[in-house]
Amino acid sequence: MKNLNIKKQLPLHLMILPGFILLLVFSYLPMAGIVIAFQKFIPAKGLFGHQKWIGLDNFKYVLDLPNFGSVIWNTISIAVMKIILGLVIPIIFAILINEVTSNALKRGVQTLIYLPHFLSWVVLGGILIDILSPSGGIVNGLLKSIGIEPIFFLGDNKWFPTTMVLTETWKEFGYGTIIYLAAITGIDPSLYEAARIDGANRWKQTLNITLPGMKMVIVLLMVLSLGNLLNAGFDQIFNLYSPPVYQSGDILDTFVYRIGLLDAQYGVATAVGLFKSVVSFTLISVSYFCAYKFADYRIF
Amino acid sequence: MKFNYLRKAVSLAMAISMTAALFTACGSQNSTDSSASSAQSTTSSSAGSSVSANKDPLGKYDPAIDISFVRGIDDDLAANILPKTPGETLEDNRWTKLYKDELGINVNYAWTVKGNETSDAYLQKINVTLASGELPDVVLVNPSQLKQLVDSEMVEDMTQYYNDYASEQLKQYMSVEGTGNIDSVTFDGKMMAIPETVAMNEGTQYLWIRNDWLKKLNLQPPKAMDDVLKIAEAFTTKDPDGNGKNDTFGLPVTKDLYSGCMGTEGFFAGYHAYPNMWVEDGSGKLVWGSTLPETKVALQKLADMYKSGQIDKEFGVKDGGKVAETVIAGKFGLDYGAQWNPMYPLISNYNNDKNADWTAYPIVSADDKKVMVPNKFNQTRIFAVKKGYKNPEALVKLFNMHIEKNWGKTADFNKYYMPVENGAVGVWKFSPVCPSPVFKNLDAFIAIDDARKANDFSTLTGEPKVIQANIEAYEKGDDTMWGWMKIYGKDGAFRSMVDYKNNDQLLKEKFTGAPTKTMAEKKTTLDKMEKEVFIKIIMGSVAIDEFDKFVSDWNKLGGADMTKEVNEWYDSVKSK
Repeated sequence: MKNLNIKKQLPLHLMILPGFILLLVFSYLPMAGIVIAFQKFIPAKGLFGHQKWIGLDNFKYVLDLPNFGSVIWNTISIAVMKIILGLVIPIIFAILINEVTSNALKRGVQTLIYLPHFLSWVVLGGILIDILSPSGGIVNGLLKSIGIEPIFFLGDNKWFPTTMVLTETWKEFGYGTIIYLAAITGIDPSLYEAARIDGANRWKQTLNITLPGMKMVIVLLMVLSLGNLLNAGFDQIFNLYSPPVYQSGDILDTFVYRIGLLDAQYGVATAVGLFKSVVSFTLISVSYFCAYKFADYRIF
Repeated sequence: MKFNYLRKAVSLAMAISMTAALFTACGSQNSTDSSASSAQSTTSSSAGSSVSANKDPLGKYDPAIDISFVRGIDDDLAANILPKTPGETLEDNRWTKLYKDELGINVNYAWTVKGNETSDAYLQKINVTLASGELPDVVLVNPSQLKQLVDSEMVEDMTQYYNDYASEQLKQYMSVEGTGNIDSVTFDGKMMAIPETVAMNEGTQYLWIRNDWLKKLNLQPPKAMDDVLKIAEAFTTKDPDGNGKNDTFGLPVTKDLYSGCMGTEGFFAGYHAYPNMWVEDGSGKLVWGSTLPETKVALQKLADMYKSGQIDKEFGVKDGGKVAETVIAGKFGLDYGAQWNPMYPLISNYNNDKNADWTAYPIVSADDKKVMVPNKFNQTRIFAVKKGYKNPEALVKLFNMHIEKNWGKTADFNKYYMPVENGAVGVWKFSPVCPSPVFKNLDAFIAIDDARKANDFSTLTGEPKVIQANIEAYEKGDDTMWGWMKIYGKDGAFRSMVDYKNNDQLLKEKFTGAPTKTMAEKKTTLDKMEKEVFIKIIMGSVAIDEFDKFVSDWNKLGGADMTKEVNEWYDSVKSK
């Protein structure tokens, strides 16, 4: 019986092959490059050339660099805030949009909030510098009109991380909203019917049917997003930071960029990258385990 | 049942073809690679067959040899030069023809990429080339890439070839501003590549001022730094643009602080401070200019200007492009920058406001001590020859020929440099190597100026002739030529350059070697710290005394080691 199944499904299995090979070539084979993290890597000698093995020196070098602690702190604090807002805001929005009865309005709003997702940070960076300018920006214009002193969002260490989190959330929440909306659509309408007959109002329905119905998707996205704990968003910060806010805005990726690409210290940059990967892998594993333990959720 | 079989067969076929497609995609990639490399190996073996016993700098190879380069194609070449020279291509043009006919050298390119040699595209591609080890015969690299190549013993020692084959003219161009050019490619006394001549004097800063604003506010051109501060204050507070709004500033500064336009080097120099370069202290040792006490004095002045609104409150987040927008919009009347500033960004300001009469003045001193003009050494074009290439001297011959045909006895400037019939575009860029006399622009100004005094422009030849034609076009009403008049005209920027040079005011950066060990590891980190602290001091978010902490941090975090290495290098070249 089992044998027969495999025979029947063979073509389907074979169809996975191209994807599998791509994964192997572009995701697994490059892992061999991890050795660079332990070498004094001179690119001209090539990946397979005679590179000097220096063990953990690259890691020590990074830890000894000034400000490495604050870089880690900036990365984690910005990333955590982004993860939380990136989960909460789309859920709220999806539920709100779901309650809208006019189809045209629903679609219109959905499209509008989805749009910024397609703009690159290079473009948005230029726009944001103008919008958030303390002297001529529209945001500070509004603040001024209600009697608040202009705020230098991109030049003030107190405001920079918050600004990063809010702008990133604004750019990406439309995308998350769509995923949650899809989850809501998948909920069995008869449940709502039954609830209405039992006299549940809209709020009760949301609380007891919509949210539990979305639980699986929420947990999945939460598990996946924990892997981003050390990704505070290179594109965004690189395009918006400047010397006055290095103190609060310099993150691991901008740090790696300067060391790896500008200084061509590939060994050190790989070491930091490996460190990031190990931390992310651990976090994903732990959160997956927790999700299984507490929410009975599993992917495999 | 039959249908089922069919379905199965189709899906099986699909799966196989998808996989096959994947493999062929990779496979074809491989085969082109290998054919390219085999082509390369035949090239180098055939090169070996020709003999050139004589050491004539311009001697011809017979039979002809091949030489392969890599290069970036900048915007000027792609959008301006190629369209205006019909019939010529990158591989087949007046320069490649010249090299082939007169030297017997066939120039070809292993690859080209859009963007000049400092663009990200070129750097990425060259880094991949270096990492793959599949070098063309000649690579165009920057100092740190050259160091990599030398460290991994992949390039030829050029010392003997340069000594034997370089023409007198090339040798003279290389050394006219000191030994920096040769030093920058010298490792353990051996010259490991041929650098293009760096014109340090082109980085010279002037103080560009809007004369129309000076006149309007009844101010005189500055004689000392105090005058500059007064002018900056007046330009901020006295509404020089006359629009009734308080929307002008004194001094444009970018978040990079140091820059060829809207820079601060000229301002710092007024206080005898030379940040961002290696200078000699009193005792003949090299020190990093940013760490000297004079820098602190100038920073205090900038902080005062920021406090009183003469510097844009937001300069710390604005890059050059953003600040240029405000200059173009007519918010500034001062600008520390190089001679080319009228070409960018000032001409755009002039296009918006024909009254904008930007004029270059020499930078001034804060006291009665002579002001020195910093000239940073910035080498980005070094040509290294792959180890094992049979005719390394061919590269030197190309250098010789480029100079000979533009500035030598048989020069044909109109054909090989800026042909008038092609709209005076710089066809010299068709050549893979472009050495030029470092003072050529200054010399052009002097030639034009002499002609102006004698009121006879018929004696002009070559580049000065083309420039003079541009100035005359401006005088006849062609506004697009405004910049030429501002640079080479009667009150052009080079007038101040003549004085700088005659008064011995050019202060050349003393370290011109390849990046030292600590520099390669720590320099960007230290540069970042320097900018962060300096900008915070100017913005007043930290006190000026933070400067002293910066100096000690800088030394602790690698600066002291860097200084030591730089001085070891300096001793080694001084003793030569």
